[in-house]
Amino acid sequence: MNATSSQPFALQGLDLSRVYGGFRALDGVAISVPKGEVRGIIGPNGAGKSTLMDVLSGRAASWGGTVRLGGRDIGALSPRERRQAGLARSFQKTNVFAELTIDEQIRLAARSVEIDNSAEVLDKLELTALRSRLAADISYGDRRRLDLALALVGRPQVLLLDEPAAGLTVEESLAMARLLRDLALEWQVTVLLVEHDMEVVFGISNRITVLHLGKVLAEGTPDEIRSNPVVVSAYLGSSVE
Amino acid sequence: MTSLPEKLIGAAAPRPLDAQRSKLPLLLALVVAVGGCVFPFVVTSTLTLSLLTQALIGAMLATGVGFLVRQNGMVSFGHALFYGLGGYILGVLVSRGIVPIELALILAIVVPTVLAFVLGLVITRIPGVAFGMLTLACAQAFYELALKVRGLANGDDGLAVTFPARIFGVPVSLLQDPHSMFVICWVVLMIALGSLWLLMRSHYGLLTFAIKANEERARFIGYETLVPRAAIYAISALLAATAGVLATFYNAFISPDMLHWTLSGSALIMAIIGGTKAVWGPALGAVVFFFIKEIAGDATEHWPAVIGGILIVVTVFVPIGLSGLLVRVFSGRRA
Ligand SMILES: Nc1ncnc2c1ncn2[C@@H]1O[C@H](COP(=O)(O)OP(=O)(O)OP(=O)(O)O)[C@@H](O)[C@H]1O
Ligand SMILES: [Mg+2]
Repeated sequence: MNATSSQPFALQGLDLSRVYGGFRALDGVAISVPKGEVRGIIGPNGAGKSTLMDVLSGRAASWGGTVRLGGRDIGALSPRERRQAGLARSFQKTNVFAELTIDEQIRLAARSVEIDNSAEVLDKLELTALRSRLAADISYGDRRRLDLALALVGRPQVLLLDEPAAGLTVEESLAMARLLRDLALEWQVTVLLVEHDMEVVFGISNRITVLHLGKVLAEGTPDEIRSNPVVVSAYLGSSVE
Repeated sequence: MTSLPEKLIGAAAPRPLDAQRSKLPLLLALVVAVGGCVFPFVVTSTLTLSLLTQALIGAMLATGVGFLVRQNGMVSFGHALFYGLGGYILGVLVSRGIVPIELALILAIVVPTVLAFVLGLVITRIPGVAFGMLTLACAQAFYELALKVRGLANGDDGLAVTFPARIFGVPVSLLQDPHSMFVICWVVLMIALGSLWLLMRSHYGLLTFAIKANEERARFIGYETLVPRAAIYAISALLAATAGVLATFYNAFISPDMLHWTLSGSALIMAIIGGTKAVWGPALGAVVFFFIKEIAGDATEHWPAVIGGILIVVTVFVPIGLSGLLVRVFSGRRA
């Protein structure tokens, strides 16, 4: 972190909070991610991981605090404006256009951004053969990849991925993990990855942030997190040694 | 059963519509469009033509209502607002001689469209039934206005409109004779349907359809969603206003009935009977509606009950509407 402290972080959230009916889903969270880093975000159910994604992407407003993209304050921007500024996201619950063909929705996504890399994205996510099919008619795994593809169009600078491997088979999850790691290297895209699949997170993250009850419990390299006694007792238990 | 193109494309079957996409529907559309223009030379009965002209005007209104359903997924219970407003603007301005008839015509179409856009920016944010109720409330407000403000157009009694002899050099009498008016309405309707068809195939058409399918995701792939929604609402209002203008020319009469919710309801029923997936569905529904009304109306004064029965049958057994049924039958597609 010292090396990059003079230059702006790719994505930075400071003092982010969100309350749902008196419950602090997010409580003064700070997160700073340097360019090109894959940052894993883990934590038990209800820890506030998706809420953090929502606040960063503009789906939900933060109660105070700041969101910066490449040093620019984007806290007041709409999801559309954040997307056009280079911040893209996928969703925990598959969020695609069921009534459109894959081709149509990818084309639409490409129209709103400057770089049209749709052919490359379709190819990388192995969706090319399915391009004329309706999203409603493809398999769950294909729809998860489509959700990711919609975020990848336009080569965003920062990707917020909320459990991209949820519901995938072990093989599919690992393929997705490889893909994300390659993208981070190849495109220098910064990735925030919320994931319950520990093998995926620990396998590809440069650093990991642990959320617990809306607060940052710990942050560090995968090795540090694995051996952090607080994290182990609060979350990891004996699942990762 | 497998056709040659299907074999060539192989396992990754395209969506059925693409497979059927040939020149045939376009050719058919052309034949129908031209056929309609020569229709009055074949069927010369003034009564039939008059009924059909009314049906075409209804078709225009229903097309607006149906397009809103198709493209925005929104059900309007108040499209009579734009129909009546178009009629009232034309009728009142012409009767008072405030502006030339040409300008009155333009205003009668532009004002409701702009109003719908502005209104749409507010009400198309509101989902489901609440949106329908709001459209109903807005339309009823204008209905009350037309009813209560007698100075505007004689309130309940309505206003007989006296037109100048010509508009854009064309004799206005042509707009009141069913033989010529049928052709005019037909041409206007064909232009409207053709334009909507092109719009649907454009980027904007795809975008609005996507917003209907998943508004949140549309925002997250970088689109503003409110203006497109309001724009579709405005386009559907434009169609309704055009229908109102045609009706005012044809009947040379305006009354609060043009703003009443029963008209909005009928237009919605036409759209449902015809089906909204194809642009021409609601128009077909309108023609069917008028014929049922005519035939059943001769037999019983309870003709709305017959329409109601048909509506139930269609919604339960053919939710895709008559147009959907026709497409299915003619494309030989299995259910
Ligand atoms: N829209 C909402 N309305 C009310 N409460 C909400 C809402 N969204 C989230 N919450 C609550 O906020 C807390 C954090 O939810 P969040 O979805 O961020 O957790 P998460 O870490 O993503 O959990 P999971 O691993 O199950 O996805 C939960 O207790 C949840 O019930
Ligand atoms: Mg979550």
